Amino acid sequence: MISSISAQYNLEYQYNLAERLFTAGDYYDAITEYKRLIFFDSEKKYSYEANFKIGQSYKAGAKLDESIKYFSIALQNSNERELEFNTKIEIIKVNILRRTTLRAFELLKDLESSFRTTEKRNKITYWKGWTYIFQNEWALASIEFQKLDNCKELINICEFVEGEKYSVLFAKLISYILPGSGQFYTGEYLSGTMSLAWNFLLGYYSINAFVEERVFDGIVISNLLWFRFYRGNYQNAEKFAKNKNNKLYNKQLEYLQKNFIGDKP
Amino acid sequence: MKNKIKYPIILYIALLFLISSVKGICQNNVSEINVLTLENRLMFGNYLYKEHDYLRAINEFHDYLRFENNDTIRFKAADCFHKMGRLDEAADNYKGLFFNSTLMSEARLAYIKSKFDERQFASFRNLVVQKTNFAEKYTHEIFRLKNITYLLDNTFLPERNEFIESFPQNYRTDIENFYNRKLHPEYKSPVYASILSAIIPGAGKIYTGNIGDGITSLLFTGVLSYLSYTNFDNDHKTRAWVFTGLAGYFYAGNIYGSAASAHIYNADVNFTYKSDLEQFLNSVNYFLPEFGFLK
Repeated sequence: MISSISAQYNLEYQYNLAERLFTAGDYYDAITEYKRLIFFDSEKKYSYEANFKIGQSYKAGAKLDESIKYFSIALQNSNERELEFNTKIEIIKVNILRRTTLRAFELLKDLESSFRTTEKRNKITYWKGWTYIFQNEWALASIEFQKLDNCKELINICEFVEGEKYSVLFAKLISYILPGSGQFYTGEYLSGTMSLAWNFLLGYYSINAFVEERVFDGIVISNLLWFRFYRGNYQNAEKFAKNKNNKLYNKQLEYLQKNFIGDKP
Repeated sequence: MKNKIKYPIILYIALLFLISSVKGICQNNVSEINVLTLENRLMFGNYLYKEHDYLRAINEFHDYLRFENNDTIRFKAADCFHKMGRLDEAADNYKGLFFNSTLMSEARLAYIKSKFDERQFASFRNLVVQKTNFAEKYTHEIFRLKNITYLLDNTFLPERNEFIESFPQNYRTDIENFYNRKLHPEYKSPVYASILSAIIPGAGKIYTGNIGDGITSLLFTGVLSYLSYTNFDNDHKTRAWVFTGLAGYFYAGNIYGSAASAHIYNADVNFTYKSDLEQFLNSVNYFLPEFGFLK
């Protein structure tokens, strides 16, 4: 009888084994054991927990599509409002990570209409802030975090980014007025100088041609040469501003990933 | 006195028997399943296989095969490697079923398919011609695969009728269509495109279907040439040479661009042909049978 008991591998043991692997960070084996648990769990007693943990394991392995698949299965098996809320939040977090932010906003809106307690509302606001961050809308993220207590660090970071970032529209506009100034604004001095020089030279040739009543020459030089450099000038200013902003965003996201202690996607 | 001692002992034994019986019943309860029996590992492996989680399915199958010899499971493990694109391991696993196996022919066919999937078609054709470890049962299928390789690589096509007749009747029209597309691809000649552009700037690009680019080339080269002519005519030598240089630059660029455009057009023809062919072959599973034991 003792030997028959020791040979038993009951589902609780299986669940604990999977949990141990998950806690140890051995996500590949954890997924295998959770899947085994699901397969033999004919009463679906562990359906929610196992699918949820598979979703988390896939997320840890950066397999985000698979992660959403299993979180969605967990959601179907959640029989409590609290579990439903937590699972939806996990799905939102994965959507934030894979930058499907529109989907994240849809799900947040859906949660807002279903859960009305202050605690839940605060969580929704918090993740809305994070969604804005991943959408590079740091000012809007800051507004969301300001609605909450204890989000000082996030607000500071959002405001820092908002203060440091270059205005793409401004860079483009000043380049329309004075070629090269957009590049100067973004710190690209050589490119700005070159742009200014080319536009000055070709502008001079074009205008000179019109002044000397060589209208055809004027049209051709301005269209084929000057306007091409003029267009290149403001397009470059826009590109530099966007690139510099992206660098800033990525640096801050990296900082958040490594140093921020609170909840993050 | 003796009976007084006997009864409690009998009662105790009866009680023990009862407890062990109840325990025996409980063993059938879902909460006490031994999930690691060979049978259960196999069932779980098959479930993972159906879910396309091949890597985990292989682990289950291999653990099962350490204790039980089962050709179907060996085949499934090889198939998992095959489906994951680990072709060398798939081939090695198929080889294990080449002799004394009920799935000998199927394993040899699958092995041939794994070699086909390596896309080294010249060596694949040699392998088929040599008939080493050949599956006689699937001769037609294997030679059909060999014929398919002619459609996929850059060798000459075999004789038309013999080639087309190796395929099933209801697919021969499709095959003939691919045969014709391979034999007479609708390429554009880069040399011809360059010559056209040398005579009329932009004509080569129009010939390759880039009408907008062609007209732009014609306008640019024409306008710049006209400007250089009028400037020479009016004795504006410096400007005239600048425009001549620009006109020459655009003219040369237009010839080079036309040749490049023809190359791009041809690459697109090749890409569309291969993509259509692969889509068709996948839809008919390369004319290979579906094995029921894998379902």
